[in-house]
Amino acid sequence: MAVDQTNLSYEHPLYATMDKMPGITVATTTVDMLLTWGLKNSLWTFAMATSCCGIEFMHANGNRTDLDQMGSVPRPSPRHADVMVMAGTITVKMAPRILRLWEQMPEPKWCIAMGSCAISGDFYRDMYSVVPGIDTMIPVDVYIPGCPPNGDDLMAGLKRLQEKVEAQRAGRWVEPEGRPETAKAILPALGRVIDRDGTQTERQLRACQSMGLDGNEHRQSDLVAKSAGLLSNLLKLKGR
Amino acid sequence: MDATLREALAARFPAVDLDQDVLLVPAADHYPLAALLKEQGYTLYVTVAASHHPGPEGDAFEVATVLRRPVRGAPSVAWRVVLGADPHLQSLYPLFPGADLQEREQLDLVGVRFDGHPNPVRLMLSEDWVGHPLRKDYAPNMPHAPWR
Ligand code: SF4
Repeated sequence: MAVDQTNLSYEHPLYATMDKMPGITVATTTVDMLLTWGLKNSLWTFAMATSCCGIEFMHANGNRTDLDQMGSVPRPSPRHADVMVMAGTITVKMAPRILRLWEQMPEPKWCIAMGSCAISGDFYRDMYSVVPGIDTMIPVDVYIPGCPPNGDDLMAGLKRLQEKVEAQRAGRWVEPEGRPETAKAILPALGRVIDRDGTQTERQLRACQSMGLDGNEHRQSDLVAKSAGLLSNLLKLKGR
Repeated sequence: MDATLREALAARFPAVDLDQDVLLVPAADHYPLAALLKEQGYTLYVTVAASHHPGPEGDAFEVATVLRRPVRGAPSVAWRVVLGADPHLQSLYPLFPGADLQEREQLDLVGVRFDGHPNPVRLMLSEDWVGHPLRKDYAPNMPHAPWR
């Protein structure tokens, strides 16, 4: 593979090494490395977009967070795709269809759970018609928390998936992902529910605080403990 | 409600109290009332909504229908029908094709059957669903295998 320094349009660790060695213009690589490189830089996505997160997914493919630069192109057909991005609430009626689409994707394939609904059902999780999380039916490789996660978050998730793919191909042990709620991820910003225009009373702020975001007792106590400091700071700022 | 319509309704349905905001009509008058309103220019089928009212004497169901004239600012006419434990009502599909999906929705979620509907199957929930979730006695956490 001939390397011309003026013509480096993509990055590979190998090029940096070759760059440092004067006189070297040709390198050999194993087929496996080449395949890994190709695989991880062409993760074509299949948008399993069922609700609002799907809109965020569309935006992420726009020109602001351009996913094409990572080689991730949205495909309309599951048969062309490597990654299923589960973006949105999963209803019981949709679940068998999602599974069918997943089965139509050729191996190797990965699944990204985008947004709280796809991760755990979020605030719809106790509803009769909602499946509490895509990982109840499909193995998930990367969880992207948020409601909705923005384009940058999706990009970070895809980067994480690239790392995973690379490590897996190299035969290294990859720690399975846990749901962010069990991994004690940072909870959604408090500013989302409180203090938009400064009209809420302290009692209302405290009520929001102790509400718990998904009805789980253990998580509720976590939330209160973790954000008590944040709340007191907020109240101090507001001079109450 | 304008005077012409009021006259027509009073002549055709003398038993109905026309001073109510939402007219209470017997089930047998459901279809004729809609037909008369359509003749009077109420050609826009706005909505149908059913609700479940469990009581000591057994279940009761209420079906409310709204029609209006397709004119800016025109008032709408709403009426309701009270049904017993086995709720079924004449479908308005022959008059208003737009009633198709709305009546299927009520069939799906509340379980009111509409006689004469061309395609009475569930609209929102899967075809093999058991029960009607908007009935008051439906357990909210009812498991639906294998997904829940
Ligand atoms: S996580 Fe939030 S934005 Fe995403 S589908 Fe659910 S409700 Fe919508």
